[in-house]
Amino acid sequence: MRSDYILSILLFFPVLVIQTTIMPLISINGIVPDLILILLVFYSMKRGQLYGTALGFVYGFLFDLITGSLLGSTMLSKTLAGFVAGYFSNENKRELYFKSYSFALIVLMCSVIDSVVKSFFTTIDLNTSLFNLLFQQGMLPGIYTAVLSIFVIMFYPKRSLS
Amino acid sequence: MLRLFGRVWENFKEYIVLVLLLIISLVTLSLNQKPAVKKVRSLAFGSFAAFTSVVSDVINVTGVKSENEKLRRVNAELMLQVSKLRQDGLQNAELKGLLGLKDTTNYPLIPATVISKTQGTITLNIGNSNGVRAGMPVINDQGLVGVVYSTSDNFSIARTLTNLDLKLTVKDERSRIDGVMKWNGSNLVIINVPKTYDVEPGDRIITSDLSSIIPVPLPVGIVLGLSKVETGIFNEVKIRPFVDFIRTEHVFVLGLIENKQKDGLELNFFDRK
Repeated sequence: MRSDYILSILLFFPVLVIQTTIMPLISINGIVPDLILILLVFYSMKRGQLYGTALGFVYGFLFDLITGSLLGSTMLSKTLAGFVAGYFSNENKRELYFKSYSFALIVLMCSVIDSVVKSFFTTIDLNTSLFNLLFQQGMLPGIYTAVLSIFVIMFYPKRSLS
Repeated sequence: MLRLFGRVWENFKEYIVLVLLLIISLVTLSLNQKPAVKKVRSLAFGSFAAFTSVVSDVINVTGVKSENEKLRRVNAELMLQVSKLRQDGLQNAELKGLLGLKDTTNYPLIPATVISKTQGTITLNIGNSNGVRAGMPVINDQGLVGVVYSTSDNFSIARTLTNLDLKLTVKDERSRIDGVMKWNGSNLVIINVPKTYDVEPGDRIITSDLSSIIPVPLPVGIVLGLSKVETGIFNEVKIRPFVDFIRTEHVFVLGLIENKQKDGLELNFFDRK
């Protein structure tokens, strides 16, 4: 169990390298899927809401510190995303939630929350319309991340979930 | 009392932790400009960028062949332009000499590779040891990319034009009208341009001589259109940047910071009592 906790932190670093170097190459019109969020949702659903919230905070802190984003913006958005993802950590329904389409829907919801909250601090001007905030900054990255999460969860060995 | 706290914690621990962490995040947001925080961040991204640069190099190698071909073609085209410009340069120098103007076109260019990107920022593989300082403009062959924001010994972070915190004074190259340009979340815009000002779609936008960040004229973008503001006296001018920020890989840092002598002179002028 403890090694799993350490692994969730250690995994962040290679995923961040991929996120900042390879992911921009598959961006569509500037929209980049968020691999770190997929990892966060996965661990939040696996280990519970409290763990997901704390992990979101740690991921956000490291991301802001390392990438030069506004310190605190990703901390806030990822903490919220981890908290929401933690709602789906029910052990009895794990089989159901980790099915590709269910997992993608949960990722979509968390990604929209994450993107919208982060946009408030980093990319959105307060004069920008609500539609732009929700659709362009929230839904589009959310959909792209959700689509990518289908492939991630599809190839993940199911017996490792127990 | 202790039991009550225990019960509250047991029932609401997820919410208590969430609220606490959100408060910490909000407090952290207000600490961004503290020098100590900046120092820690520059150390953190400097260490991590070393790993990122290795991956970035591997990725770049795959694109080198096609890029080489493209560069050879560009090189040939440039050679033709250079021979023409050389003639013009000689003539220009002669004319400048006759007029007694100072030569202001020799700026040091420091080549760099983008090793990672996030929304509104890029990390470059050069830093203090290469002579990079915060405030220096980052350019590529198409125009202005951004401005260096933070540096470590071997790496630096630059804010691109798509960063909400970067505001630049720019100028319409044709009508010579100045304005403040910023990123509004989806477009580059020049804000608060009086409706009577002469700005038309297709005009080239360059950085302004008035800018305290970039004092030399660098190409920024082209006017796409003016927003139809029904009320008020100001327009918002939408700009399409020359630089494709998503595909930018190789850039130059212009080794130039706004002249301190000029700054001092202007500050003294405005500070007189």
